[in-house]
Amino acid sequence: MALVLSSCTPSAPDTAVHMGLAQAPVNLDPRMATDAASARVNRLLYQALVRFDAHARPQPALADWQQLAADHYRFHLLKPVPRFHDGSAMTAHDVVATYQSMLKPGASPLAAEFSHIRKVWAMDDDTIDFTLDAADPEFPARLIIGILPAHLIAAGHDFSRQPVGSGPLAFVRWRGPLVLQRQSDGQRYVLEEVKDPTVRVLKLVRGEIDLLAGDLPPELLVYLQTQPALKVEHTQGANFSYLGFNLQDPLLANPKVRQAIAHAIDRPAIVRLALVPDSRLAGAILPPEHWAGNASLTPYAHDPQLARQLLQEAGVHLPLTLVYKTSTDAQRVRLATILQAQMREAGIDLQIRSLDWGTFFDDIRQGHFQMYSLNWVGIRTPDIYRLAFHSASVPPLGANRGRLQDAELDALIDQRDWPAATQRIHALLPYVPLWYEGQFVAMRRGLYHYTLAADGNWDGLITVTRNSKNDHAD
Amino acid sequence: MIRRVIKRLWGVLPVVFGVLLLTFLLLHLVPGDPVDVMLGESAAVADRAQLRAELGLDQSLPVQFVQYLQHLAHGDFGRSIHSGQAVSSLLAERLPATLKLAMLALLIALLVGLPLGILAALRARHWPDTVATLFSLSLSAMPHFWLGPLLMLLFGLWLGWLPISGMTPASAIILPALTLGFGLSAILTRMTRASLLEVLSEDFVRTARAKGLSESHVILRHALRAALLPVVTVVGLQMGSLLAGTVITETVFGWDGLGRLLVESIEKRDYPVTQACVLVIALTYVLVNLVTDIAYQRLDPRVRLS
Repeated sequence: MALVLSSCTPSAPDTAVHMGLAQAPVNLDPRMATDAASARVNRLLYQALVRFDAHARPQPALADWQQLAADHYRFHLLKPVPRFHDGSAMTAHDVVATYQSMLKPGASPLAAEFSHIRKVWAMDDDTIDFTLDAADPEFPARLIIGILPAHLIAAGHDFSRQPVGSGPLAFVRWRGPLVLQRQSDGQRYVLEEVKDPTVRVLKLVRGEIDLLAGDLPPELLVYLQTQPALKVEHTQGANFSYLGFNLQDPLLANPKVRQAIAHAIDRPAIVRLALVPDSRLAGAILPPEHWAGNASLTPYAHDPQLARQLLQEAGVHLPLTLVYKTSTDAQRVRLATILQAQMREAGIDLQIRSLDWGTFFDDIRQGHFQMYSLNWVGIRTPDIYRLAFHSASVPPLGANRGRLQDAELDALIDQRDWPAATQRIHALLPYVPLWYEGQFVAMRRGLYHYTLAADGNWDGLITVTRNSKNDHAD
Repeated sequence: MIRRVIKRLWGVLPVVFGVLLLTFLLLHLVPGDPVDVMLGESAAVADRAQLRAELGLDQSLPVQFVQYLQHLAHGDFGRSIHSGQAVSSLLAERLPATLKLAMLALLIALLVGLPLGILAALRARHWPDTVATLFSLSLSAMPHFWLGPLLMLLFGLWLGWLPISGMTPASAIILPALTLGFGLSAILTRMTRASLLEVLSEDFVRTARAKGLSESHVILRHALRAALLPVVTVVGLQMGSLLAGTVITETVFGWDGLGRLLVESIEKRDYPVTQACVLVIALTYVLVNLVTDIAYQRLDPRVRLS
């Protein structure tokens, strides 16, 4: 009782910005992070050599570069060179140490991306040279790993729990919620995991958290839009949702069956009625505004009659029974039931299997599925087409989960002919492209300048400001 | 007495071994690979193999189990596959939070369930009995994942008295404790009512009344003591359920306890953490049952530990 009462005593006002997360970061070492939440936080804590413009073209961030030969790049650190949060100055040796530490066998799950680096060395304090085993025109776009201080790498510092970077936000503590602090003005941020979307919304409405970015079902977003103390902003997203097929399945190996399924789905209706605002139809993994995007792909129109006809041409007896696997996420299950209802019209009996994430993902990796749905999040380079569709990328070597084998597509990917490759993928239909879900932020009035990103990153925290005087003015 | 307790403790060992074996087998046999969860899909095959070897997952299941038992015999729960933290330190961080929550829930259950049960028995088939019955049936029918958000809406959002979720401030424990405690109080209400009604018709109660003792004396000193025997058993059994019940409640309320740690470790296929959490919960079950037996013996000398 004493504890409870003590909590009622007045305390200093909390000026930190509290953000509710559906999933807490796992690892704050940028060499080790593989989950979206960790990658988003690491963007705030560290700086990389390059960043991307609106078309996902690499731009200088910490350094600009010259291509000295097809297999030789030189990077120059831009002035002023930043300091790390421990006060030490960044030099080319820190860049070299960061990348060298990733190249050691087993040192990083991201090492495969850099396996073609033959050598990386510092020419002087500001210049770094990379030589490669093979020409790689997209090499600068790969250098998005946050730079770590060389002396701490040498000392075996645990960056995963005590990160030291040079980014706009610095690490304060991570015991329960993760606490960060903006370098420019000392503004603190508390990043708190609240798994249940309803609880996240209740906490936002009550003021226990100040903002939420993404990861809510549309009806909760609609509810938030009715709350006078809150404001909701949204923009188009670039994270790609798709329906995947197992091409080793006797039924789904038939392209007519895959086409029938594509025609059975009324994607515009789902986007309009069951997704958050600013969601849009997708044609390929990379959106049309991406430099390697393809806006000329003809969508598979909703046509249940055509779908039935295609199934009959494929020699399939109706109703065709197919098993669709998805996670236990409520929105995913809801979308599955919508797909089920739509496909019924085309003579397809979709059996839904909702599995916990570990089981679901393992089944997909092992090829134990007929159909499934997943997202690609934060994709920046067209190398995703190699990872997802090349014959050499069948798990465990990559993410060709549907086991697509097509020599023509492999050749197009090897030639980096992205317009032709995306056209070929569209025709082969290993995925039904679904949509790019809109991005949104819901925040309490009094918070300003949170800029939304198409990939759902949290860079808006760098610029967000709090104005307590205007709490109910905007 | 001490000898009997030690004998009972020896009897716990097969139970613990069974729990360890079952947990180990179930975890390793369900689909899902911690290496996949940790490395994602882009990692090289060699890196996967190296990590698998580092984690000891390349060994056969019997070898892994024997190694696990050997480490456990030295008090070593291992390290979390994901965070690298010692599992013992994770347990030391999380267990106190769960125990605090479970104890407060038990206290709430006793404070609500016993008086309501007594009232229902003393006013059987009258309106207090009907209200108490309705209350207990309603609460026992509500799952934690539903009752929790309802309490959040009422006390957190509409009344604004308590935090919605989290570990701070200190009052944040009240809603999860109410969620857990209300479920148990419903069982206690029903149990106390039924037990007290039965005892009130016994001869010794009639004798006590015939001796001219006051009604409160008869109820509190004679009838209730006898009626509480089955209630103590239920409380003991439910204490274990409380710990298991925190799995859902802690997740809903963002309470950083053992239950939430267990859920997270299952999602990530963090085998050492899952095994340790299940072991602690199982041990608590067994030990609480033992304590219940001892308490039962104290309350009823006819009962002997065997």
